[in-house]
Amino acid sequence: MPSTAALTPGLSSFLKSLKTNPIDTSIDNLISLLKRRQIRHSRSCATATAYLLLRVISACRTSDAGKLIERVQSVGRRLIAAQPREMVVGNIVRRVLGLIRDEAEDDREGDFTLSEAGSESQPQTPRATDDPSVHEGSDRSLSRPPFPTINTTPISMFNLLSHPEPQPSLPGTPVSASPSGRFPSYTPTKDIRAEVLDGIGEIIDELGQVDDQIAAYALDHIHSNEIILTHTSSTTVQRFLLKAAAKRKFTVIHAESYPNNHEATHATVSGKETGDDEIMSTESFQKPLIALGITVILIPDSAVFALMSRVNKVILGTHSVLANGGLVAAAGTRVIARAAKLHQTPVVVASGVYKLSPVYPFDFESLIEYGDASKVIPYEDGDLVDQLDVQNPLYDYVPAELVDLYITNLGGHAPSYLYRIVSDHYRKEDISF
Amino acid sequence: MSAPADKKPAADPAAEKLSGAELKKKAKAEKAARRARERADRDAAGGTPGPKDGAGKKGAGAGGAAGGKDAGAGGQKGQRQQQRRGSTQGGPEAKKRPVENKNVAVFGHLYGQPRRTSVAGAGKEVHPAVLALGLQMRDYVVCGSSARCVATLLAFKRVIEAYTTPLGTSLSRHLTTHLSHQITYLSTCRPLSISQGNAIRALKLEIASIDPSVPEAEAKAALSEFIDSFIREKITVADQVIAGSAAQKIQDGDVIVTYAGSSLVKQTLLAAAREGKRFRVSVIDSRPLFEGKNLARTLVAAGLDVQYTLVHGISHAIKDATKVFLGAHAMTSNGRLYSRVGTALVAMSAKERAGGVEVPVIVCCETVKFTDRVALDSIVVNELADADELVEVQAPQQLTGLPDPAAAAAAAEQETKKGGKPNQTAHSGQSAAAEFPTDASPLANWKETPNLQLLNIMYDVTPAQYVDMVVTEMGSLPPSAVPIVHRMSTNM
Repeated sequence: MPSTAALTPGLSSFLKSLKTNPIDTSIDNLISLLKRRQIRHSRSCATATAYLLLRVISACRTSDAGKLIERVQSVGRRLIAAQPREMVVGNIVRRVLGLIRDEAEDDREGDFTLSEAGSESQPQTPRATDDPSVHEGSDRSLSRPPFPTINTTPISMFNLLSHPEPQPSLPGTPVSASPSGRFPSYTPTKDIRAEVLDGIGEIIDELGQVDDQIAAYALDHIHSNEIILTHTSSTTVQRFLLKAAAKRKFTVIHAESYPNNHEATHATVSGKETGDDEIMSTESFQKPLIALGITVILIPDSAVFALMSRVNKVILGTHSVLANGGLVAAAGTRVIARAAKLHQTPVVVASGVYKLSPVYPFDFESLIEYGDASKVIPYEDGDLVDQLDVQNPLYDYVPAELVDLYITNLGGHAPSYLYRIVSDHYRKEDISF
Repeated sequence: MSAPADKKPAADPAAEKLSGAELKKKAKAEKAARRARERADRDAAGGTPGPKDGAGKKGAGAGGAAGGKDAGAGGQKGQRQQQRRGSTQGGPEAKKRPVENKNVAVFGHLYGQPRRTSVAGAGKEVHPAVLALGLQMRDYVVCGSSARCVATLLAFKRVIEAYTTPLGTSLSRHLTTHLSHQITYLSTCRPLSISQGNAIRALKLEIASIDPSVPEAEAKAALSEFIDSFIREKITVADQVIAGSAAQKIQDGDVIVTYAGSSLVKQTLLAAAREGKRFRVSVIDSRPLFEGKNLARTLVAAGLDVQYTLVHGISHAIKDATKVFLGAHAMTSNGRLYSRVGTALVAMSAKERAGGVEVPVIVCCETVKFTDRVALDSIVVNELADADELVEVQAPQQLTGLPDPAAAAAAAEQETKKGGKPNQTAHSGQSAAAEFPTDASPLANWKETPNLQLLNIMYDVTPAQYVDMVVTEMGSLPPSAVPIVHRMSTNM
């Protein structure tokens, strides 16, 4: 696998080059990767963006919040212009901007209450409550469900314990290259940059663990002998189902999502490796459901309606989630959700919070990306290619009323509640930066 | 017969010929194994009382496993017999035979005899025209409800022409049983369509009504005439009438969405195009048959503006649609549309569009496709196609992609181990998967993968409320009128 990763540019080669290349080269590199759609999974995009911003901020030789914000904004704008439909990039940029603003505000407050300045992460808890909890959960055990948002007033023991070891949470990240402002808590004006870098490290941690955190809720949603329909090869959904499969027996009907994702789907259901190195991360090396004794029935997308009357629950992955509770997911999701609604089958969407975008869609059409037409009509049918208008939409917009439940790493939410989570995670001033 | 094959495997033409014979024998053995398995399955299913959700499923699973084992044993028996007879069937294949039952439990009732693979074993009374037609239908060369109906009737016409009444019986009595053999053969190739069933019923009725005193030649001529007029009235002319009246529904500037490849929809669109109407067509297609491709090709050739997408693009295609035209496999008596799988998704999308504007859904259907059966879901009544059709066949190796020499050597070695067996076709699937793990589809050997099932159903049932109008040769009706029209047309 490393050989293929080196050959085709993608997430892994980008992350590798990030350490050695100068900042501007890295930015251009990511922009071209996004433009060429060589990074296209939303988590890969998020990870790449987070690491890039980490590097950008660590290279920024200033501790002035205004300048940092400006720098991140300019980089963010360029990234978003490269792939405007990839909302995850914007989400990560906004979260980083929010981090900087929080730190700057805390800093100002900190001038007055110096007694509290010793604590590094505490001041940011009122807003980014989930981040510390995420962080701590990871340090201890991966399987532990994260703390729900509400009861996280993390002045608990965990916080005390996690203090002396902020470094292990970011192993091998470029942040270690800039240890200059590591423990600035004793200086009266603490280094915003270090705080922000820590925050980004937490975001990166969150990206790494989000699937496990979502999977932790699996047993709350899947009962024995259920028939579950899913679509595409989403690793989040697979992880979710695997977690449930460890305890319960059920049946999975898997629509193959032809033509854009069927190869990965086939590989997922049969447990064979894919040639796609982008999703070839450590997470994808997981057992297939069939190895756990779960019966998996692979069907063409067209058979969804016919089988829906037998399905108990539809569990879908998504590309990004919008503030109104609608989602942008792989093409074909909308008819599946529609058919499920018609049969009164609950539709559950599993998605990390990082996919939750503050964008409120007025023009759904602008969110949809169209893909390679040769996947629909191969070039063997040359005569047709010339004369037909071949359409290969990559995404569908699924309105909120078709979704019954969202499961994020913070728990289950009704679609109508999502705007609240949005306002928890992004600051108003960053929504359109 | 196969003994010479061992002696001179190198002689190509001889090997070719004999391999054909061997294949036939293998098919026979496979059929025997399949029969055994089915019998075992049936026994097992009979043994488990009342398949209720929880415990029943477990029982059925166990029964299936047992059946599978039986089948494995049967298969091995077959292999052994063949080996005794001197055939060089590979031993490893017998071991690889799936032990697991690959039938999807919900559709258990639809797994009957698998489709016939060759003409081997067909009764000698089956007419060559019917033999050929059976294979054509199995391979979807003759595909589509009306096409199959017409082809069957034409084949039966030849059967009747070639038929002579044996001594001691009358034509009206014996010809029906003679036709029954043909029908049985056809139905082993692919389950008969509703239209075929209706046509056959009409034909049998006609045969039964022939006076025994009528001379044979005269009776045969009358039957030929009946078949011709049936095709003409029920299908050819009916199609023209339907195409004509459905084309009236198309207006300038319309965007017509259609699904898969209905011949009647094609005629309708071509008729409208001939009338000089300007409209756009959006063809939605589905795997694995890709019937819409042919439709799109024809429409493009007729100069229409055609857009083409697959099932995943339904909601995009429907967005600017103004009308949906659908073909039918059958219309059930409760007004539901029984058609190619995926049709229901298109009809549903048309009716539940986000803007709240409903797109009219128009079904084009001859009355010969009406049936008195009723259907509530797509599970009780359906047809299962071979699940292997879902496994993507890789394009043949490109010119540059010469086979890996190491793999070739391995294959050669394997071949010599097997005693230089000339035909490797039986193994090609597995060996390809083993030798080119990156090239072969991950599903290539799904049958050996435990717990993985593939389901390839042919039809689904669209609820009546999604259908606004059924255009038939008797006029345009609401779906609720189907049983009335069916009664009228059968009583006539």
